[in-house]
Amino acid sequence: MEPQDRCCEYLSGISPVWCPGCGYYGILSALVEAFAELKLPTQELALISGIGCASRLPYFVKTYGFHGIHGRALPIAQGVKMANPDLTVVVVGGDGDGLAIGGGHLPHVARNNVDLTYLLFNNAIYGMTKGQFSPTTTLSNVTKTSPFGLTGEAINPAALAITYGATFVARGFSVKKEHLRDLIIQAMRHPGFSFVEILTSCSSFNTIDMNVARIVNNQDLVNPDHDVEDRLAALRLASDEKKIHLGVYYRSRRPTLEDKFKEMRSSAHAKAKSRPEGLVKQFL
Amino acid sequence: MTYDFTLRVAGESGEGVITIGETIARIAAREGVHLATFRTFPAEIKGGPCMIQIRLSDRKVAYHGEKVDCLVTLNQQALDENLADLREEGILLCEAECDVPMEPSSRTAYQLPFERLAVREIGSRISKNIVVLGALAHLLKIPKNRIEEFLAEKFARKGQAILEHNRKALETGMRVAEVKISAKNPFKFPKGAGQRRMLMTGNEAIALGATMAGMRYFFGYPITPASEIMEWLALHLPAVGGKVLQTEDEISAICGVAGASWAGGRAMTATSGPGVSLMSEALGLLSMAEIPAVIVDSQRGGPSTGMPTKTEQSDLLLAVYGSHGDAPRLVIAPTSVEDCLSLIGLTFDLAEKYQMPAIFLVDQALSARLETVDPNTVKRAPAAARLCAEGKDGGNFARYRLSDLAVSPAAIPGTEGCEHMVTGMEHDEFGNFACDDETHTAMTVKRFRKLAAIEADPLSQGLCSYFGDSNAEIGVVTWGSSAGPVEEAIKVAKERGISVRGIVPKILNPLPHKELATFFQSVKRIIVPELNFVGQLASLLRSTYRVSTINLTKIKGVPLEPSEIVSVILETAATLNVRRASRYGTAR
Ligand SMILES: Cc1ncc(C[n+]2csc(CCOP(=O)(O)OP(=O)(O)O)c2C)c(N)n1
Repeated sequence: MEPQDRCCEYLSGISPVWCPGCGYYGILSALVEAFAELKLPTQELALISGIGCASRLPYFVKTYGFHGIHGRALPIAQGVKMANPDLTVVVVGGDGDGLAIGGGHLPHVARNNVDLTYLLFNNAIYGMTKGQFSPTTTLSNVTKTSPFGLTGEAINPAALAITYGATFVARGFSVKKEHLRDLIIQAMRHPGFSFVEILTSCSSFNTIDMNVARIVNNQDLVNPDHDVEDRLAALRLASDEKKIHLGVYYRSRRPTLEDKFKEMRSSAHAKAKSRPEGLVKQFL
Repeated sequence: MTYDFTLRVAGESGEGVITIGETIARIAAREGVHLATFRTFPAEIKGGPCMIQIRLSDRKVAYHGEKVDCLVTLNQQALDENLADLREEGILLCEAECDVPMEPSSRTAYQLPFERLAVREIGSRISKNIVVLGALAHLLKIPKNRIEEFLAEKFARKGQAILEHNRKALETGMRVAEVKISAKNPFKFPKGAGQRRMLMTGNEAIALGATMAGMRYFFGYPITPASEIMEWLALHLPAVGGKVLQTEDEISAICGVAGASWAGGRAMTATSGPGVSLMSEALGLLSMAEIPAVIVDSQRGGPSTGMPTKTEQSDLLLAVYGSHGDAPRLVIAPTSVEDCLSLIGLTFDLAEKYQMPAIFLVDQALSARLETVDPNTVKRAPAAARLCAEGKDGGNFARYRLSDLAVSPAAIPGTEGCEHMVTGMEHDEFGNFACDDETHTAMTVKRFRKLAAIEADPLSQGLCSYFGDSNAEIGVVTWGSSAGPVEEAIKVAKERGISVRGIVPKILNPLPHKELATFFQSVKRIIVPELNFVGQLASLLRSTYRVSTINLTKIKGVPLEPSEIVSVILETAATLNVRRASRYGTAR
């Protein structure tokens, strides 16, 4: 089979609702290419999302999909993975979804090291609701809800993920599709919580922050000498204000949530009856 | 002669009051005695007044008793605050230092120097409660070996020194009581049926019942009075292959339930009103996406943070309607600890069968109280499962297929050929976003059809308790933990010559229409006692059945007392020319 055909296997046939020129098209094709490359059976893939333009992605892919509520994709995905650890779980969503309304969940799913991949589409704007600022808006400080400028500093998603305890953190760019595909593949292969911040443009609203030409001129691949296990070095790369580094910032290994549950189960087994009926005795 | 005896132990939190009560309760339950209890919790972490009341009987008891036969108080404040609840002929056992009022003289008071005995003879003030237990054992004629046996089990892990300590304290209490307390006192140790009864709290019953029902994924965020459910499960679920996750908030908890359930597991969360408020958006998602879920709400005084340690039944309308849009869900309200154990399983079955969220409404009093439960209650096997596609649907699986059936087959992720989307957006049969009026109407009707199907389902029959006389003119409708006081009040009214019919629906959405409609036709007056300010069940009944109701509401943070209900029954009877039962003449 031609690689192109293999990618098609992962498309649902529903055409994306995104605006012409939206950076999300590039992410969608990088994602299905990653699926094809990993040869994952469609029924074993679960794509989970919240609400927003980015969160519409699961409709366009032929896998199991859960389009939830605004900001709650991560906790839903955590539940899915707990009940069926054999599923490959990928979460997609916008910067508002993941860092504003859903910002309280990221630290916990990260520290739990849930074995899933989170692709955060950073377009520095609320696309779906048509142009209000997001937690990552900075340059385009005049938006529909900030006519006189922004009230707060922008959040740096990749840096946050590193501090929160994600065990794989990378930054990609929707325009550099092959590079992004490779990042997604590495993220999905990583056992534990993988976070990929994807810089991407919104063709309708914020055209300044994620201006493609500006990013192209100001980016570079992560230096091959960078030690991905060095958390502070990773943080420095992620927070560099002069240059945008694309690639893997951080990678480490520690027990996943599932590993922890397995441990608990075996220590519980050592102590207790393993049949529910055994639980009754304590009340008699 | 039936045996019916009510004991209250009151003191300061930290004095070991609950240990005294629990020991008596546990020993009685092992004898096969029925018992119902009530306990209060101080609002603060340390200190503050607390009490436990235990009613023992050789028949099933639905209420913990109003007046007590025996009151045990460990300090002056406890004595002052509780004495009014001691029967006129009751027996008081209290600390020697306390001032005991002389009136009424029909009471007997035994004053023993518990604290001094503990300090002087055992060498530790904390042994005081065991000394009291010894005295109480003598008073209630509980065989010493039963108590020793129980204490040995309870404190087994604390080591030999503590066990020895306790044995000495127990003997001291007994010895002193033998001298001071007349052997002619009226109490005797109850003789039960011989078969051990389980003794558990509502929260334990919910946790055990859910586990027996196959619940293997629990997500929760700590909150009084529901936390013990998660604590019990955290300890016991791993051994049976389950997983418990303490999440960062209730939103995460219910979303975890949604995810785990969609992935094929039986999943649950437990919280109180503040948590349900946070969950209400996700409740709508579960309705819309048609995902089974069980949410336990142990109600406490509200709104907002309200009164965390006090009971109230003020989340009914939140449970039935809370969340935006037309979002059908199932609401089940157990009335006793035994119900908690058996109905949680039914709740899972119905949620799974009808692919929708179910709220299990209890309250602080029910969550916390210890009650005896028939061990056979546990043996309920799951009676229904989710309707699922077998797989290979040719790649175009209609998750939300419209048909005459109440539900459409789901497909668990991992099933070959049934890849599909579930979504909180309005959708067509395939889960694709659709916002035309026809689809929205058809899908809303589909989701609401489940309620009618549940009402007709054999699984949900028999979910009403009835009390009293079927031809009475006065009717009482209540729900949840208020059922016990109502049952008791109806008995008292009967003794006073007034026939009353009571009905307690344990399913509150959908309401059991046939049974309620028949009931309303049979009575002339409808009294609705419940623990909230506005009369939430009453307002549901008024709007559904266009009946007028006499609302009896109470928001004191404690259960209704039968006498409060009896007064309203008497007032109502006075307005009706009620035919009195034949015993009227003698009951005065
Ligand atoms: C509880 C709730 N509040 C608000 C909204 C409205 N809303 C939908 S999407 C969105 C923000 C979308 O921005 P982002 O997450 O950055 O994703 P994008 O559309 O840019 O891909 C908002 C505020 C909602 N759906 N639910």
